[in-house]
Amino acid sequence: MTEHYVIIGNGVAGNEAACHLRQRDPESRITIITAGRLLFYSRYELPRLFHEDCDWRDFLVNPVEYYVENRINVRRNSFVTHVDAQRKSINLAHKESISYSQLLVASGGATNLPAELSDFAPLLNRFNLYTAACQVRDILPKKGKVVMLGGDVLGLDLARNLINEGYQVILVATEQTFWPHRVDPDERKLLLGALTDMGVEVIENAKIETIQEGAPGMSARHILFDDGCEIFADVVMPFFGLLPAADFMMGSGVDFERGLLVGTNLRTTDPSIWAAGDVCQIWSPEENQYRFYYGWQNVKKMGEIAARNMTGDDIHWETATDHKMYIDENRQIVSPYWEHD
Amino acid sequence: MADHEIRTIRLDENEDFSNTQSYGQRIVTPVRFSTDPRDIGWVRENIPCQTACPADTNVPAYIRTIMEERYGRSYELNRLANVLPGVLGRICSRPCEAACRHGWPGNGAPVAICHLKRAAGDHKQIGHRITEDLYTPTGKRVAIVGAGPAGLAAAHDLTTLGHDVTIFEKEDRPGGMLSYGIPEFRLPRDLLELEIHNTIRLGVDLKTGVSIGSGENDVKITDLLRDYDAVLLTTGCAAAIPLPLRNIGRDDDVSLSVDNVENGLDFLMELHRGEEKQVGKRVAVVGAGFTALDCARVAKRLGADDVAIHIRTTEEYIPVTKDEIHEAKREGVIIHGLRTPVELLSDDEGRFRGVKFVQNRLGGWRSGGRRQAIPIEGSEFDEPCDTLLIAIGQKTVTDILDVQVDLDRWGNVRLGQDGMTSIPGLFSAGDFVNGASTVVEAVGHARKLSVRMDTWLMGRERRKKVVKISSVDEPLRQRSFDFIPRQEMPTEPLSERINTDNKEVETGYDQTLALEEAKRCYLCYHKYEIDIDNCIYCRACIEVAPRDCIKMVDGVEIKGDGTYGSLHEASEWDKVGAIWVDNNECIRCGACFKVCPTKCISITRNEIFYQDL
Repeated sequence: MTEHYVIIGNGVAGNEAACHLRQRDPESRITIITAGRLLFYSRYELPRLFHEDCDWRDFLVNPVEYYVENRINVRRNSFVTHVDAQRKSINLAHKESISYSQLLVASGGATNLPAELSDFAPLLNRFNLYTAACQVRDILPKKGKVVMLGGDVLGLDLARNLINEGYQVILVATEQTFWPHRVDPDERKLLLGALTDMGVEVIENAKIETIQEGAPGMSARHILFDDGCEIFADVVMPFFGLLPAADFMMGSGVDFERGLLVGTNLRTTDPSIWAAGDVCQIWSPEENQYRFYYGWQNVKKMGEIAARNMTGDDIHWETATDHKMYIDENRQIVSPYWEHD
Repeated sequence: MADHEIRTIRLDENEDFSNTQSYGQRIVTPVRFSTDPRDIGWVRENIPCQTACPADTNVPAYIRTIMEERYGRSYELNRLANVLPGVLGRICSRPCEAACRHGWPGNGAPVAICHLKRAAGDHKQIGHRITEDLYTPTGKRVAIVGAGPAGLAAAHDLTTLGHDVTIFEKEDRPGGMLSYGIPEFRLPRDLLELEIHNTIRLGVDLKTGVSIGSGENDVKITDLLRDYDAVLLTTGCAAAIPLPLRNIGRDDDVSLSVDNVENGLDFLMELHRGEEKQVGKRVAVVGAGFTALDCARVAKRLGADDVAIHIRTTEEYIPVTKDEIHEAKREGVIIHGLRTPVELLSDDEGRFRGVKFVQNRLGGWRSGGRRQAIPIEGSEFDEPCDTLLIAIGQKTVTDILDVQVDLDRWGNVRLGQDGMTSIPGLFSAGDFVNGASTVVEAVGHARKLSVRMDTWLMGRERRKKVVKISSVDEPLRQRSFDFIPRQEMPTEPLSERINTDNKEVETGYDQTLALEEAKRCYLCYHKYEIDIDNCIYCRACIEVAPRDCIKMVDGVEIKGDGTYGSLHEASEWDKVGAIWVDNNECIRCGACFKVCPTKCISITRNEIFYQDL
């Protein structure tokens, strides 16, 4: 009987898995389900929007023909609401049910917004999707001022691009700065110094009291700190890392903590359900705990491992992988998590 | 109604019409009362919210009356089942929502039943008339020990049944855990006091500050048994379970011996008695229930910077509502899963400085849909903190008894079939019997126990359970209602919470939100039936059905208790014996009713009702 592989998520892990599944099981049905409207595009390339005249086509990783040739059915604008592991089916928000032989959850991570900032969410601009990135590009005036809250590696990548294009960047540093790198206090000091050298204005030990809309004719955002200081900005962006986007797995019977709990073979506690990418916590025998692993290369590798194991292999994730952020000879900070194909 | 024939059966609430069903014409009867097990079984199986509610609340009925903007009536329908609708509309554990058909796979999110309960209370008119079904005085005297939710519910029901009730409460205020265990930002005290007042205003004699026990100044159970016709123990689970740790005895309580380590329940009770409580900047809470969440949120309000709840399994399996988790997180509480405390850490001077945890993995299933946590050997790690609040559960205290009653293996009171303990005339209800549970379970149990007490006191049953079946002229829902998203509960902004004392966090639905949410209810008490003698098998109903809810069958299983079981679907046309509405799948959209050319589909409303015997 023809296998039907369903992949929830249209990112690096999901597409890598689809590619390997097609190679290893040419007769199978493969369906990718994504909440987005676009085919797989490179989020890592989104900062190009600030220095190139480009649109969504320029970010696509694979052309449309690739999906046709490889018979990979991409269901876009489809929101998964529930996974029924017993019936081996998933429910979509528009009341459709799709059956699977094996399911790969690769739905990635959503922007983490700390609770104390949730009231200000409508005043914050994200950079996690193409549409969100375009919105930032459109509202940010030339040489405008961007305030970054947190400053994870995705934010810092954007920061260095913006600086190069002549924008002003203010970083309000928090404990999530440099996420997901684990940096000790000495390293942190050096890295923040390097950021300053790069032209980023760094604010440390400041607690945000409120974020307001700017007065007409003034900067669009006004941030007040608890020590009475204030800054004005054109855009305020949160970069506090990612949270697994897999609420739809609640109640499915699959073990879930912050992410889907998987073994080093990336199989969940349900034999027909696998997980890869930012959504899964992989058991680390070395550290005796479940861990997340991020970055294009890691996530891509996970997609391959999941696909191979779904089709009969028994290969395992090397869980000891940890990447360090460093400062290069030009005093530029570099993160291995920025590397991508 | 001219296009179909209507026969009206005369209205008599005490007559049993369960055997008068007939076919061959569309029969619409205004109301009838049935004791047929198929009808009682239908209600039990097809109205999952009501079945899941320990108090047996008629959920569809009260939501329907909200749609009609009859908030007072909705409140009264709630009050028939539990005497504290406004309270439970805020702090109920919501087993109904877990069972709600709207939350079943493919149907979306469950209806916000609890929020609607609150809306009924919030929007009823000032000076709203309360209705009570009062029985004539019996002359029987009942003593109730404990004025918590179980005691209050029982006091109300026993009073309406005509008995003279006296409650003995050791605290200064009634309410038990409602008054002393739940923070005001979840349960405003003025509302609680009002509903308690309504509960006992029928003549309950409430004696507060009275200690029951075997001490010299205590009132003794034996005295109550002598002075009253029956005694009901509803003292709940008021003792915290000590935290089991390595290298300490099973019953040793570290909260008694280590500074800055407290039992969460004691912490909350002392706070609500008016004591000044303090916490450190870093607070760790261990436990996974409402008490743990309350402790964490209170700690935030007392000035803690970092508050973390440490749980043995994961968020998915902790017995609290998702809303409570969401609000706690919004307030900055962090939840760490898969860890069990194994040791307390102290500095060189012996002061508490943190907790050593062991990492867990999830194991097999426990009862109640919970999971086992399996510690991983060698995975210990330290978590520094200044204050530890322990909220891992509660237990009953039986040393208040000066009589010997049979206990079960958990130390809870064992009851007989008649609801009585091993001592004649001594009854018990709520957590004192069932162990630590929820407010709605305590209320529900007390309500059932009151009926048993009444039977014992009067020497006979005075009421019987029937199904009230009323005709419904047309579908009360529209298909578009199925696509309304669940309405989120409005809340105070964070800036108005932490820095202001005890402001209620949830602000309640306004009438627009309440109406919108009420529309989502499938009204599962509506039963759609096809009169197969009039059906022409045109399949029109099947064509318009949005789900696989109308089936061609060759038979229906009848269970041992007389209720309907599964449908035997016919695979071939010549085997079809009937077209049948699968009420399990039916979302009461009414599409089949509207399209039927022969009007052979009828709708009835089916509700549990109690008739006098």
